[in-house]
Amino acid sequence: MQRRYIVKKHENIHGSINGRGRKTTWWIYLSWISKIQVNQPAVLRRAEQIQARRTVKKEWQAAWLLKAVTFIDLTALSGDDTSSNIQRLCYKAKYPIREDLLKSLNMHDKGLTTAAVCVYPARVCDAVKALKASGCTIPVASVATGFPSGQTHLKTRLEEIRLAVEDGATEIDVVINRTLVLTGQWEALYDEIRQFRKACGEAHLKTILATGELGSLTNVYKASMIAMMAGSDFIKTSTGKETVNATFPVAIVMLRAIRDFFWKTGNKVGFKPAGGIRSAKDSLAWLSLVKEELGDEWLTPELFRIGASTLLSDIERQIYHHVTGRYAAYHDLPMS
Amino acid sequence: MAATRERPSAREIFITLEYGPVPESHACALAWLDTQDRNLGHYVNGKWLKPEHRNSVPCQDPITGESLATCLQAQAEDVAVAVEAAGTAFENWSGLPGASRAQHLLRLAKMIQKHQRLLWTLESLVSGRAVREVRDGDVPLAQQLLQYHAVQAYTQEEELAGWEPVGVIGLILSPMFSFLEMMYRICPALAVGCTVVVLVPPASPTPLLLAQLAGELGSFPGILNVISGPASLGPVLASHPRVQKVTFCGSVEEGRALRRTLAGKGAELGLALGADSLLVLTEAADVDSAVEGVVDAAWSDRSAGGLRLLIQESVWEETMRRLQERMARLRGGRGLDGAVDMGTRGAAARALAQHYVHEARSQGAQVFQAGDSPFFPPTLVSDLPPASPCTQAEVPWPVVVASPFRTAKEALAMANGTPRGASASVWSERLGQALELGYGLQVGTVWINAHGLRNAEVPTGGCKESGSSWHGGPDGLYEYLRPSGTPARLSYFSENLNYDTFGLAVPSTLPAGPEIGPSPATPYGLFIGGRFQAPGARSSRPIKDSQGNLHGYVAEGGAKDIRGAVEAAHQAVSGWVGQSPGARATLLWALATALERRESALASRLERHGMELKDAKVEVELSTRQLRAWGARAQAQGHVLQVAELKGPVLRLREPLGVLAIVCPDEWPLLAFVSLLAAALAHGNTVVMVPSGACPIPALEVCQDMAALLPAGLVNVVTGDRDHLTRCLALHQDVQALWYFGSAQGSQFVEWASAGNLKPVWVNRGCPQAWDQEAKGAGAELGLRAARTKALWLPMGD
Repeated sequence: MQRRYIVKKHENIHGSINGRGRKTTWWIYLSWISKIQVNQPAVLRRAEQIQARRTVKKEWQAAWLLKAVTFIDLTALSGDDTSSNIQRLCYKAKYPIREDLLKSLNMHDKGLTTAAVCVYPARVCDAVKALKASGCTIPVASVATGFPSGQTHLKTRLEEIRLAVEDGATEIDVVINRTLVLTGQWEALYDEIRQFRKACGEAHLKTILATGELGSLTNVYKASMIAMMAGSDFIKTSTGKETVNATFPVAIVMLRAIRDFFWKTGNKVGFKPAGGIRSAKDSLAWLSLVKEELGDEWLTPELFRIGASTLLSDIERQIYHHVTGRYAAYHDLPMS
Repeated sequence: MAATRERPSAREIFITLEYGPVPESHACALAWLDTQDRNLGHYVNGKWLKPEHRNSVPCQDPITGESLATCLQAQAEDVAVAVEAAGTAFENWSGLPGASRAQHLLRLAKMIQKHQRLLWTLESLVSGRAVREVRDGDVPLAQQLLQYHAVQAYTQEEELAGWEPVGVIGLILSPMFSFLEMMYRICPALAVGCTVVVLVPPASPTPLLLAQLAGELGSFPGILNVISGPASLGPVLASHPRVQKVTFCGSVEEGRALRRTLAGKGAELGLALGADSLLVLTEAADVDSAVEGVVDAAWSDRSAGGLRLLIQESVWEETMRRLQERMARLRGGRGLDGAVDMGTRGAAARALAQHYVHEARSQGAQVFQAGDSPFFPPTLVSDLPPASPCTQAEVPWPVVVASPFRTAKEALAMANGTPRGASASVWSERLGQALELGYGLQVGTVWINAHGLRNAEVPTGGCKESGSSWHGGPDGLYEYLRPSGTPARLSYFSENLNYDTFGLAVPSTLPAGPEIGPSPATPYGLFIGGRFQAPGARSSRPIKDSQGNLHGYVAEGGAKDIRGAVEAAHQAVSGWVGQSPGARATLLWALATALERRESALASRLERHGMELKDAKVEVELSTRQLRAWGARAQAQGHVLQVAELKGPVLRLREPLGVLAIVCPDEWPLLAFVSLLAAALAHGNTVVMVPSGACPIPALEVCQDMAALLPAGLVNVVTGDRDHLTRCLALHQDVQALWYFGSAQGSQFVEWASAGNLKPVWVNRGCPQAWDQEAKGAGAELGLRAARTKALWLPMGD
């Protein structure tokens, strides 16, 4: 097997154990990506099927929707974010579903929250402060590395990560350099992500592949593999700012890469679709997609996240309907 | 507490994240059965037919075994009533302008749309198949079929000029085929003006419902009649004198039996046999997607049969691991559940699968079963020894039999090394390799990097023992058409024909007196492998001229000579198939020129057999014209289809049949010989021909030119006792098709004997044809029969 060590002066050739006791990888097997071929029409067909073949109703639907809430990275990534709406976001993250609705489902004592809140680097302080004030331990995720385009100098991109971590972000969503993918510089890509990994320190690294801009599904697979080999804790579909966001075909390819990586190394890497997931029905399809392609072990916030902002209100509306049998008016549910 | 265990709370599901039941209500299906008092009869001539004193069988829910209704079993007189109704309706229906038939088909499509929920719940309830597959696959396709064929009916007068509907069609469905297979056949039949009697197995209410929907359109009630009855009623329907064409979907053995029963009964027989498929997975494949292809083929309730899976050795381990992983996630359950991959079939299908798996185990196979199914689980069989009976047997639902191969060439040899030829998929990301396999596989349908795609516009059929009938697309229409002016197909069955002895012995020939008249030295011998050879029997037969004088001797060919000729023809196949149509045309044109040079000799030969010199010259001229015409037509074959729901083309290829045996008619000794030869060669076949019995010498004259012009073995001509030679050819398992123009008894024998390898046959039923008329003898029908269609699906995308 073709195995090439990329050894940087700041790296230990014998490896290291990261903060969560997970062994990180620090080599690159180019043979893992050299032969791979993804057949796009076949993946498209599978994507269509998976939505038609699995569905949940009644209690199952309610339970799955509540589960979906625990996977959400509740996200605010707008130019007009200020401390007030970040505060509201954090409150919603802590109390995602109306208390009385949870009570009637006998779920009020589960401490149901979203998985994290996700903001721009400049808003990390606001989020950390708001969450601390409400006394909860929901992690704060920050996007970084020239989000969303990644078209800034490597030096500032790395600095961005360090500053966000300093401000208290424990999860960093980095965007990869699409130029390197489109020109086939896989080793350079690996190298960059390694540096992101290093800059994150103890923080979780979520690598955004921006799949809408990678050109082909084969590139999506290769970029996923490189990102995992470089030590990402999660691979994430998109920034939400590309024209094409989280789609099922892309997700299938990424999930298959995650499974292949697990089979080859024994390491479980997480998956985060983001962008365009707005309806409760969508979120159910995403859950069953992960369940089908990877299995139940991946259905935990440690390994599965959904990046979304408006999804939560739709889930709450559906729960309202399940509990009361009525469709909610806008004013029946708290705004987020 | 018991109640909560049955229905877990949201709190519990939150932890387990299991799937729950997603029941689809089948109340409307039950309500429909109630309208018949849960007692289904037959639907004939726009009315329910419930004759008294008939046996009935229960129609059961395949899961619970609960009886849903009882179904009356038809008897011979009910069949007669249905055929009578169809026959009466045919008078009106076939006389309508195509545009009116198109309107009617569209109304039926609308009718199905209005009652689609009833249709899919009823079908899923009774068949046990996953409702998703019926709802999202079968029902929309049924509507699409009606719409496509409405367009065909609309343009029939222009596009299909020179063809007329054959008449009443008898369609026989066996239990494993769904209502969709019925739609695939009734749509083209109705579109071109035929009327149909469908015999469905007992307890299949969906075809009855469809017949009711068609009947309730009001006008033309008798065009679609559905009767349900036991398989033993099949031959009764098939041999009814008013039935002009029989289409049968079922198992290979049933098809064989029906072929034998129908020999000489007049009706044409179209067979679609078996249901298993093939998947070739190369090392250049997207393995995960190919695994989904396996699921589509065998474990998703789309197909009625199992799958043979050929996996390249270098990716064997990886593929097996992925397959088993995928199998563990398949969900089985009630067909009417919205979240299952597979429902279940009735007890018969389960027993068949059980038997196969048991046999495979005892023959040394590894069997892997997984998946969450309360019924027969998805099954993966591997390590089956290549020589074991299970390797050759048809693979039943829901079994996949995996075997390794080393190279693409070996995969082709293995795939083509079985008697089945319905459908296959090829998984490879290398375009060249995929096309090589796609063209090389001897099957009716090939999907590249996909499996089980269907469309109304794409012809679907098969070859070898899968039967050579077509449904869908343009080819499906011709199944129900015949050249205008062809006489009705009447029974020419002879009780006295003994199949065991027909043509078995060759009468011995003795010297027949002096040769009289100008005797130019004719080439003597059998034309085999490009040269004249002495016959194995070392005896000759005298040929007399019209005055009864001895014209000369020709060689007396026998079984060994036929064997040699077929071998020679097989050796020539690959070279000839590889020639471009242009190159084939060039050779045919060269032969035409040679024939022109030989004109006077040929004409005088014909003259000695009682023709006017003028007519003889016309025959020679027509013959050269046929050679040139078929040469020209060779260049325009196949075309590209663009179908909805598929990005990428579907190629409709016209492929040669292989070795084609032709027993030429006595009439038009030169023209018929040349016309048949030209059509066969133009389409890429190699031939073994038996020339006219009375006047074989012109054909042998032509052989002299062929010896010089054509590659050896391409054309082989064997003279001798026609019955004997016909017997040898008809019973030869490695002859891919047989055309017979001779006696009624010979035709009957050929039809009977073709059951052996189910080769397509074309017989003249003892009726001479007018070979000098384009429409009768040498027209489009010849081109249609000289090649088989293959649909090659090429999905695209990056």
